[in-house]
Amino acid sequence: MRTERLVQHLLGLAAACSVAVTVLIFGFMVILGLPLITGGAFFQMFTSPWLPSQAVYGIAPMMVGTVSIAGLALAFSFPVSLGCAALISVLGTGPLPALLHRLVRFMTGIPTVVYGFAGIFVLVPMIREWVGRGSGMCIFSAALLLAVLVAPTMILFFSDSFSSVPKAYLTAADALGATPVQKLFHVVIPCSWRGLITGVVLALGRALGDTLIALMIAGNATAMPGSVLDPARTLTAHIALVVAADFDSLEFRTLFACGIILYVCTTLMVIFTRRVGAVSERRLWRSA
Amino acid sequence: MLAQTSIKIKVRNLFFSYAETAVLKDLTVDILDRSITAVVGPSGRGKSTLLSIFNRLWEDIPGARMKGSVHIHLDGTDRDIYHPACSLPDLRRKVGLVFQIPNPLPMSIYKNVAFPRKLAGGSSKQQVMDAVETALKQAFLWEDVKDRLREDARSLSGGQQQRLCMARALVVNPEVLLLDEPTSSLDAEATEIIEQLILSLKENCTIVMVSHDMAQVKRVAERWLELSEGKMMANGRISAPACRAR
Repeated sequence: MRTERLVQHLLGLAAACSVAVTVLIFGFMVILGLPLITGGAFFQMFTSPWLPSQAVYGIAPMMVGTVSIAGLALAFSFPVSLGCAALISVLGTGPLPALLHRLVRFMTGIPTVVYGFAGIFVLVPMIREWVGRGSGMCIFSAALLLAVLVAPTMILFFSDSFSSVPKAYLTAADALGATPVQKLFHVVIPCSWRGLITGVVLALGRALGDTLIALMIAGNATAMPGSVLDPARTLTAHIALVVAADFDSLEFRTLFACGIILYVCTTLMVIFTRRVGAVSERRLWRSA
Repeated sequence: MLAQTSIKIKVRNLFFSYAETAVLKDLTVDILDRSITAVVGPSGRGKSTLLSIFNRLWEDIPGARMKGSVHIHLDGTDRDIYHPACSLPDLRRKVGLVFQIPNPLPMSIYKNVAFPRKLAGGSSKQQVMDAVETALKQAFLWEDVKDRLREDARSLSGGQQQRLCMARALVVNPEVLLLDEPTSSLDAEATEIIEQLILSLKENCTIVMVSHDMAQVKRVAERWLELSEGKMMANGRISAPACRAR
C-alpha cells in the first residue's frame, strides 16, 4: 500500500516535471523577449524586413520562408504519401506492401543531415541546371527535400488509418462489385479522413519545425522571397544562424519572438490533432 | 410447378479447401433458373463457402484453394466464372450476395442503395434515383425510409438494415441473389418480412440461400441441397412449400 502510494507520487512528480519544463520554456521565451514587447517593437517585427545595419529586426521574410517551404513540402508530399499508403494497405499485392512498409519505417531512422547532404550534392545542382540562374538553393529545392523527409510520417499514419477501416465495409464493397480503386476512393478514404487530417497536421508540424534541411538547402537569404526559385530563410534556420553569431543584443532578442511563434503553432497543431484525434474514431469503428 | 427448368448455375467436380482443411469434396450440382434453392447442413461444412464460390468472394482469403468448374448463365450466355476473361466487378453485380450480419456502409440510406449503381457508372442522377426507389420498394423498405433517405443507414433496426442490404444488392438487377442465413440475426417479425421478400423476388432472379432453420427452408425454398462432410448428402425438391400460397 505504501509503495503503491510512493510510486504514484513519483510518477505524478515525473508528469509534473515534464509539464513544468514545457511551461517554463514558454515563460522563459516570453521573459527574455520582454524588452521587445515593452519596447513596442513586438508586433512591428511581424511586418518589417530584417535589416540589422539599420536596427530593423523584422522577421516577416522568415515567416514567409517558413510557411512557403513547409506548405510546398506538404503539397508535394501529400499525394505521394496517399498513394504509397494506399499501396501498402489497400491496393498492393504480393510482397510489395510489406517491403514498402519496411522501407518507409527505415526512412524515419535516417538522420536529417544525410538528406541534407544528398540535397546539396544531387538536388541543388539539378535545380541550378534546370532554372539556369542562382545557386539552386531555393524554396523549391528545400520544399522538395523536406517533402521526402515528412513523407514517412504521413505514409505511416495514413496506412495505419486505412488498415483500421472495418473489414465488414471492405467485404461489402467487394461483394457489390467495387474495383480496388473504387473501394479506396468510396470506402477507405471517406472512412479514414480523421486519420488523414491527423497525419497531415503532424507532417506540417514536422515541416515547420525542421531546421537542418532549410539551413542547408534553402539558401538562408534574409530578403523577402519573390518566387519559389528564390532563396529564403526559415524561422528555425534563423534562430540557428543568429545564435551562432551573437547572444546579447536586440537582434538576439528577436529570436524569442521566432521561438514564441513556433511554440504557439506547434501547440495549436497538437490541440487540433487531439480534437480531431484519429484514435477515438478508430475505437468507435472497432466497436461498431 | 416450376415455371422454368433451365439451369442457371452448373457446378462440376468442385473441390475447396482452406489451408489443409478440405471443405468441399467433388461437388456436382445444378441450380435451376428462377428458383429458390436452400443450402442446408451442419455448421462448418462449406455452405457459406459455396455461396462465396458463386461470386468469387473467397479469393482474398489466404490459403484458400479451389478446383473444378462453375458456370453461370448470365446475360443470356453460359459463362465460366473462373475464366481469366470474366470481369470480377461485372460478375459481382450480376451475382449479388447478402451477408448473415447486415453490413450497411457508413453513409446515408440513399447512398448505400445507390452505391452499386455509382460503381457501375453510366447512369444519370434521375436513373439512379428511380433505381433506388424501385429497389427499396422491392425490398419492402420504401415506406419505412422514404422520408429519411439522408439519415445514416446504421440508424435503422436490424431487420431494416438487412432489407437495406437486399435493396442494395437488387439495385443493379442481379440475375442471381445469394443469401447467407439472411434472417439468423433477426427476430420473428423481421424474419417473416424477409421470407416474404425472398418469395417475391423469385420472379426475377435465381435465389440460393443458406439456412439452418429447416422450417424456414420448407416455408421458402422449392429445392434444397444438403452438404455434410464436404459432400452432397441429398439434393431434391421439397414437395409442398407451405409459404407459396401466401
